[in-house]
Amino acid sequence: MTMIRMSNIHKYFGSLHVLKGVSLEVNKGEIVSVIGPSGSGKSTLLRCMNQLEKIDGGILEIEGLVVEAAGNVGVKVSASQQQVRDTYRKMGMVFQSFNLFPHMTALENVIEAPITVNKMAKTDAVKIAERQLAKVGLLDKKDTYPSKLSGGQKQRVAIARALAMDPDIMLFDEPTSALDPELVGEVLGVIKKLAEEHMTMLIVTHEMGFAREISDRIIFMDNGEILEDASPKEFFEKPRHPRIKTFLEKML
Amino acid sequence: MDYVLTILPVLLKGLQLSLTVYVMVMFLIFPLAILAAIGKVAGPQLIKKILFLYTWIWRGTPLLLQLFFIYFGLPYFGIKLSPLTSVIIAFVLNVGAYETEIIRAGIESIDKGQYEAAKALGMTYPQTMRRIIIPQTIRRVLPATCSEAILTFKDTALVAAIGMGDLLRSAKEVVTTDFKITAFFVAFAIYLMISSILVQLFTRMEKKYSIYE
Amino acid sequence: MDHLDYVLKILPFILSGLKLTAKIYVATLIFALPLGLLAAIGKVTGPKIIKSILFLYTWIWRGTPLLFQLFFMYYALPVIGIRFSPFVAATVAYVLNYGAYLTEIFRGGIESIEKGQYEAAKALGMTYPQTMRRIIIPQTVRRVLPPICSEAVNLVKDTALLAVVGMPDLLRIATQIFTRDFNIIPFIVAFVLYLIISSVLVKLFGKLEKMHSIYE
Repeated sequence: MTMIRMSNIHKYFGSLHVLKGVSLEVNKGEIVSVIGPSGSGKSTLLRCMNQLEKIDGGILEIEGLVVEAAGNVGVKVSASQQQVRDTYRKMGMVFQSFNLFPHMTALENVIEAPITVNKMAKTDAVKIAERQLAKVGLLDKKDTYPSKLSGGQKQRVAIARALAMDPDIMLFDEPTSALDPELVGEVLGVIKKLAEEHMTMLIVTHEMGFAREISDRIIFMDNGEILEDASPKEFFEKPRHPRIKTFLEKML
Repeated sequence: MDYVLTILPVLLKGLQLSLTVYVMVMFLIFPLAILAAIGKVAGPQLIKKILFLYTWIWRGTPLLLQLFFIYFGLPYFGIKLSPLTSVIIAFVLNVGAYETEIIRAGIESIDKGQYEAAKALGMTYPQTMRRIIIPQTIRRVLPATCSEAILTFKDTALVAAIGMGDLLRSAKEVVTTDFKITAFFVAFAIYLMISSILVQLFTRMEKKYSIYE
Repeated sequence: MDHLDYVLKILPFILSGLKLTAKIYVATLIFALPLGLLAAIGKVTGPKIIKSILFLYTWIWRGTPLLFQLFFMYYALPVIGIRFSPFVAATVAYVLNYGAYLTEIFRGGIESIEKGQYEAAKALGMTYPQTMRRIIIPQTVRRVLPPICSEAVNLVKDTALLAVVGMPDLLRIATQIFTRDFNIIPFIVAFVLYLIISSVLVKLFGKLEKMHSIYE
């Protein structure tokens, strides 16, 4: 089953053409890593998927529904506003800079959306939240405010917050880039756990070893285009594109 | 000392008026300022323009002029308000304009990531404002708001200018009739006491609400 | 066109009020700024007794309304036999009031300078007065510029209090003409004048701040 289908997506920031006709499919249960040099458009690609950025051209389908269509593509948005909003809920997002709500404790961060958005009863939301916090290993920090947590702990709370909405897809936007090196492992460990549960995931990352280990597919982006979409084995052992070779040499 | 006791009831009556004005104003400005600030940040172009004019004019001219305009000037248009109503309207509009700008700056200081995280969790714009942005804004603007609140208490002395018997006016009346300045010193002490209490109170409040940062 | 004629007719009166407003404004700034700076230095480095006196000064003057202080100068001092001309009384009241606020602003500025600056100056063999004059105060002035500018804008609006003690300032003249003619225009003219002045000052101070913030 195709969870996300992007067809010929274009995106501009002013006169800057950041996505130049990108097409991509992600199937249920797949783990896809997006790598590439900074400024290549990989974060923008991710942000277009859950409409934090509006696309300027192309078609975006989530679970078979056209949620966004722009430019002369001959397709109209088939999802109602409510359905579009529902697709957000099915997509959990983890940001590079965590974006935890600083005025709420870890637990309050996690129960916020289930209560406000899904209208869940508080007791049920707390149960779910405690399960998710336990999963990321932070149940003992549930009453702590984000300012008292380390970067790695913040990011794990952010993951628990996204998981509490019971998403079908998780989007990770460079989840470890803002972390001190010694804290990267704990966050990657949590993502790995999700991989074992066959969560559909799209991960923008610079962690090559990690991408190689857990991904079903690697997508390499450069200058607003997808240059490669291959299995990790193919990608790392026999890179076809010279740009990828130079990139990998620099990274490894 | 006996003299102080004889004038005290008059002064306390004046104080009562000052405090009434103060409390009413403080209660009314927040809804006004929060709505105006949201309008300024997120409203349609027309609303933004109107609110820009509002804060520009009200913060750019003296409160006393605004008070005179409402109390003396509005009857010219056939609108006659009681002194207390005039005072409340003038103060609410004036302090509200300052507070609007404080809150607007507070809203704009909230990181964009907070909006994005809320959106990614499926929250609507009103939900995002109510649950995520405004609570953080309020904590962040607390210091500026508290100092505004202390200034406002001192500004209540302006009601003496339209002849209302507030603390200042009562003290002045006593001084001019009795030709003794004791009343001024008592009023002095009362003002000082209240503003010191307010400072203490607000400092404590700030400390309490700053725990999470 | 009647309105315009009327405006032109009352403008000379209103401008004479504006002149008084401007005089008090300038006099206040000229005296209050050095007062604030000196009192701040005293508060940070002075002997205990000076510190206590200055604490009382800023506490009392910032803790009571300016209008109250004006009333005190106008109505209370004559009772105990101290008489000033209205202009002097007003200026003293404004200078003492704004001086108190400026003292606290300067003090906050001085205390915000890192200890390392004192240590570096000391290591270079500078005396304490040299350190203050050459190192600390120049940095303080740049740092306190924004709050001082906003005080200076506030002062424009606070000059309107003169009207309450009967000084013929911009507001009082406008009010008098309004009462005489029962015409709203003098108020409108006063609104426009105050608005122009405070807007011009805000712009001017904005530029000044930009100019002096280059090094940070």
